[in-house]
Amino acid sequence: MKIEESMKGLVKKAAGTGLMVIIVAVIMVEAIGLVQYYFSQKTIREEASKRAQAELELAQSKIMDVVNQTETAVHNSIWVARWCLGTLDSLDRIPRRIVEDNPIVAGSTMALVPGFDRKNPLRAPYALRTPSGIEMRTLATPEYDYPSQEWFTKPIEIGDGYWSEPYIDTGGGDIAMTTYSTPIKDEDGNICAVLTADISLDWLTELVGEIDIYPNAIGVVLSRAGRIMVSPTETLSMRSSVQEISARWTEDKEVFDSIAHSMLRGDSGVMRIHQKGKANQVYFAPMSRTGWSMSIVIPEGDIYSGIRKVGALIMLLQLLGIVLLIIIIRSSIVNQMKFKKLSDSREKMESELKIGRGIQMSMIPKIFPPFPERKDIDMAGSIVPAKEVGGDLYDFYIKDERLYFCIGDVSGKGVPASLVMAVTRSLFRTVSAHEKSPQRIVTLMNESMSDMNESNMFVTLFCGVLDLVTGHLRYCNAGHNPPMLLTDRIQNLDVVPNIPLGVMPEMSFREQEIDLNYDDALFLYTDGLTEAENAAHELFGEERALQVLHTRRPSDEQLSAVQDAVATFVDGAPQSDDLTMLFIHYLAQPATDTSEQHLILHNNIQQIPQLAEFIETIAEEMKLDQGLAMGLNLALEEAVSNVILYAYPEGSDGLVDIEAIIRKDSLSFIITDSGKPFDPTVVPDADTSLAVEDRPIGGLGIYLVRNLMDEVSYERNEGKNILSMTKKQLTPNQ
Amino acid sequence: MQTTITKTPGGTTVHLAGRLDTPASLEVSKELEPVIQNATGEIVLECSELEYISSSGLRIFLTLRKAAASKGGKVIVKNISKEIRQVFMITGFLSLFEIQGDE
Repeated sequence: MKIEESMKGLVKKAAGTGLMVIIVAVIMVEAIGLVQYYFSQKTIREEASKRAQAELELAQSKIMDVVNQTETAVHNSIWVARWCLGTLDSLDRIPRRIVEDNPIVAGSTMALVPGFDRKNPLRAPYALRTPSGIEMRTLATPEYDYPSQEWFTKPIEIGDGYWSEPYIDTGGGDIAMTTYSTPIKDEDGNICAVLTADISLDWLTELVGEIDIYPNAIGVVLSRAGRIMVSPTETLSMRSSVQEISARWTEDKEVFDSIAHSMLRGDSGVMRIHQKGKANQVYFAPMSRTGWSMSIVIPEGDIYSGIRKVGALIMLLQLLGIVLLIIIIRSSIVNQMKFKKLSDSREKMESELKIGRGIQMSMIPKIFPPFPERKDIDMAGSIVPAKEVGGDLYDFYIKDERLYFCIGDVSGKGVPASLVMAVTRSLFRTVSAHEKSPQRIVTLMNESMSDMNESNMFVTLFCGVLDLVTGHLRYCNAGHNPPMLLTDRIQNLDVVPNIPLGVMPEMSFREQEIDLNYDDALFLYTDGLTEAENAAHELFGEERALQVLHTRRPSDEQLSAVQDAVATFVDGAPQSDDLTMLFIHYLAQPATDTSEQHLILHNNIQQIPQLAEFIETIAEEMKLDQGLAMGLNLALEEAVSNVILYAYPEGSDGLVDIEAIIRKDSLSFIITDSGKPFDPTVVPDADTSLAVEDRPIGGLGIYLVRNLMDEVSYERNEGKNILSMTKKQLTPNQ
Repeated sequence: MQTTITKTPGGTTVHLAGRLDTPASLEVSKELEPVIQNATGEIVLECSELEYISSSGLRIFLTLRKAAASKGGKVIVKNISKEIRQVFMITGFLSLFEIQGDE
């Protein structure tokens, strides 16, 4: 529950952190975008301005080119016109020549000041370019009244060339046009006529109309009176005055007026105006000589369309970035959760391993001293697995005054090794319950382990059986490292290596033996001790262990001393292998008053009475009362008669060896025969509670043996049945 | 080992003296064969001089007891020693036999 809560908390925290990161990232990205947008916009506006100025200049230069050509066409004809004034004959030729020679000129007239020609008070021959050629007309009609026209009056008034306001020439070409007119003076300086050249405003519009710097840019040329001369749109209809159209064209009337005012005054500049809700940049500049002013109107949409595209792209990228960021953060949160889950399951596994370790440790004796009531043996053992569970084991127990013990090391580590370890330990207990010979124990264990060893794991094992009474140690090694024998010096116990358990069945193992004396000790260990490694990869080795063991201490202190030495040596380097030690200190006082009696019988039942004499001698020596003696006699007779009657085939000769070991307060019989194997200890007890009808006649002998003696054990060794039985606490007859 | 079989008005008295060990039991069981065959009436096993008994001896006692039970006889064990009483106790014979004599 607690874990779950803390997990939720962690996730919340992670999610919170993630959200914060996203928010901060969005703010930053947006800020960067805005700044970028602002600067880009500024740059683009400047760029647009430059382009507009350039376009203005280009358009102006085109117009001025036309203007110049027109003016030149007119001026070039002034001399001829003057000359014609003398005769007035070929006046028509002058405008005709102007139109003929100058394709840009749509029409031309030579208008005489009224009254100059006495015959014709009004005279104005007009050459007009038509699709079919040049047509000659006259403007001297009462309807047109050319002397009242601006193009006529103004040059005379100012005495110089003049560009007219745009107009529809109803008298001439019926087209929108502007006219350049210049006064023609006689030799006295009197103005006699006005010579003109018309330019089609459509044509002028065509000329300047291709403002292609932006798709929706338009060029507008205003006359000095504020009339629109050039405009591509119908809205800004030709010849309308700006005042007339301002209300129709824009909602920013004031701005419009201000622009118009500036233009008419001949200023140049740029202003921003809205048209139908959309902002436009208006660039304007005056045109010299003509008094016109030109403007280029560019919708901001056009100017900024690039940046808007870029902006949109940037926004898209930013969005993508943020989405990516969210994905990354989300996946990192998910990962954190996964990690948490993983560490939860790891925790669970670790706790299961801890339980496993508990089970494993409960299999081995670990209460020390294990036999506090005994003075003859002092032991200490420890297992320190490298992982939670390990493959090392040791085990020991006392049965019939014998210490059965073993130490082992399963190949490999961890859970698989621990399972094999558990099996090994169980086998040791099971097998040793019926076998006194370490060789037999090891052999039987090997058979079992080889049979079931599918995982090819093997175990090195050292197995010993120590007769606590005599100090006689029988041992058998299965590939384990030799224990150290501590007598008056320390040396490795002489050990035949043999092969480890579980390698293959039907292996033969050799048993060895040695007699331990009072204060001798055995130090058994696994290679986790000698191969304990420090950070420099040096091994602890046997020598260091020997030095520690050199000082004689109680078993538990001995183990602690070795453990401390290892800890000091490795100095925190991780433990690489299980470390297991078992220390056995033999402390039985020498049996000073032990004696032996020996009797050998043939397999003849008639020799049974010899047992009575045998017992009598012993009872006498031990000063036993009659009852005890009879009990011993009975037990011995039952055991021996059993051998005599059943061990050997009928008619064959066989021997029964009876050895009595007499100690201060106990007596043992060891009955050995070479007959067929028979273990009387496994015969079930007779049921003494049965009614007489149901009681079997036999089966009492072994029952009596068991009940009369304290310990009975059987062993089959080297083709012999060996039955041992001991009577303890024999108090002498007072 | 000496076995004396005496006919009495009510049955038979078997006097057992010495050590009833395994070889002795072989002899005794032969000697007691008639008694076992005719296990009627009161069969008294006089044990005051019985020094020792092994399981084969006990087997004779039990055989006799079983025969008596099937033939309507009765077995009385008299005057067993303290040590033999102990053996009787261990083997559950105390409850199988009527035992007379000193504790």
